Amino acid sequence: MIILSILELKNVSKSFGNKSVLNGVSFSVPENCVFGFIGQNGAGKTTTMRAVLGLLRIDSGQINVFGDKVIYGCNPKNGSIGFLPDVPEFYGYMTAREYLTLCGNITGIDRKSLKTRCDELLRLVGLNNEKHRIKGYSRGMKQRLGIAQALINRPKLLICDEPTSALDPVGRKDILDIISSAKKHTSVVFSTHILSDVEKVCSRVALLENGKIAFSGTIEDVHALKTGTSLELTLADQNDVKKVSAAFPDASLIDGRLVIPKASDKDCAELMKFLSERMIPIIRLERHEEALEDMFMEVIGK
Amino acid sequence: MKGFAAFFAKEMLELVRTKKLLIILIVFIVVGIMNPAVAKLTPALIEMMSEDLASQGMIVGKVTVTALDSWLQFAKNMPAALAALLIMFSGIYTSEYSKGTLIPLLTKGLSRSCVILSKLSAMIIAWSAAMWLCFGLTYFYSDYYWDNSQVHGLLFAGFGWWLFGLLMISCIVFLSSFANSAAQVMIGIGAFYFAMTIAGMLSKIKKYLPTRLLDSGVIFKGELYASDCIKAVIITSVLSVIFVAAAIPLTIRRRL
Repeated sequence: MIILSILELKNVSKSFGNKSVLNGVSFSVPENCVFGFIGQNGAGKTTTMRAVLGLLRIDSGQINVFGDKVIYGCNPKNGSIGFLPDVPEFYGYMTAREYLTLCGNITGIDRKSLKTRCDELLRLVGLNNEKHRIKGYSRGMKQRLGIAQALINRPKLLICDEPTSALDPVGRKDILDIISSAKKHTSVVFSTHILSDVEKVCSRVALLENGKIAFSGTIEDVHALKTGTSLELTLADQNDVKKVSAAFPDASLIDGRLVIPKASDKDCAELMKFLSERMIPIIRLERHEEALEDMFMEVIGK
Repeated sequence: MKGFAAFFAKEMLELVRTKKLLIILIVFIVVGIMNPAVAKLTPALIEMMSEDLASQGMIVGKVTVTALDSWLQFAKNMPAALAALLIMFSGIYTSEYSKGTLIPLLTKGLSRSCVILSKLSAMIIAWSAAMWLCFGLTYFYSDYYWDNSQVHGLLFAGFGWWLFGLLMISCIVFLSSFANSAAQVMIGIGAFYFAMTIAGMLSKIKKYLPTRLLDSGVIFKGELYASDCIKAVIITSVLSVIFVAAAIPLTIRRRL
């Protein structure tokens, strides 16, 4: 049997008391992709991921991992999923190597290959020279150990719940680099509310809003949604503003800068031609790509 | 099985590294030495106080101490030592559930019953080692200073305490399958013990209750025999098994 989707959610709903968190969520994750699962805080990302892992009972719908139905309370098929929780918690009295060895023993890796695998992973996440116990680790170090433990048994699906949310820029880059390097061997689903991270590493995305999938598609589909770029012009002499506004009626004056929305490449060239022909001195001319944030705001209608 | 072995090794490492095992052993060793020591020192203490007592009109005669006094101390001190052990273990499950430390391991295929049983095994090992060490120390010193042969049912009384401890540990396992904190587990254990004590006031059911096994003082004096406690032994064993057996499906259904 050829499995096209590694992970498939069909019409999954979940409520906590009267509060409906997931309301008919459906999406699928194909093989060999990094899948960005986007949503605001409290959108239901963690709930979805815990349901996929069988840690949470869903009210209705179905979740399949590698074609097998996920059953609540039962563990995922051995070796199939690696999971990095949003705030990974480890046993503080262990060292990173001891913790990875424990994980490896649970998954049944034999002693010799486990040692090599631990060395490999500790090097990958940059903890190979760390001799201290985990209780002294920073948040970023714990997150990196979290990725290492999730990859110990070479899972076919790696699920990361907001792996970068609480980290500084350096820590975030480290984690994204590790995720990017992991995608050679495994499919990755990672939830986040940081859209720039999505643009950096994901090949597919789904946007969760109010317990429903508001948008789902490839990263190219996302870029196709972009309505254009805007031009921002700061003139050296404010007396020239009128001349430029007259020639470009779409332009509006914001904080002393002229902003031309939805400007094409041609509009940009024409503006530059206009300025140079009339010898109008400028301080700055900027092109602004529409940010992913703005696009998603449009998708969710805010 | 591989999950059990790996998690059990982790539990033992935890007991050692968090110094829980050390503290438990120290408590039981101190109690084990104190039992004969207090008995040994009693005559000297009473003699020291005899002048005060005499001024209050009490005349103290010669006090003779035997191995029985040492073992009566054992019966008196054991509840406090067991309570200390239960307090140490009350959060063994709930702290893992609340911190989320089990999540990465469960998603790797570790079964929840392995978690329950390996923690149970670690607790039983710690309790057995501590309790029999305490018993052994009291036995050795009581025999060294006096003569243990004057005391009745020593091994059975020790076994009774050990079995009662197992029941209490099984009770932790059961309560932890739905409790959210160590405090809730402790309250549950307290309530269970209190209920048994209240029920024990009715003489009709007293002989069936696990608390019967705690009457070691009466056993040492030869006023209660092992044969009188068989029903209590059976009920305690069955109850322990039921607690653990019930905890497994409850924990599997528990939201983590």
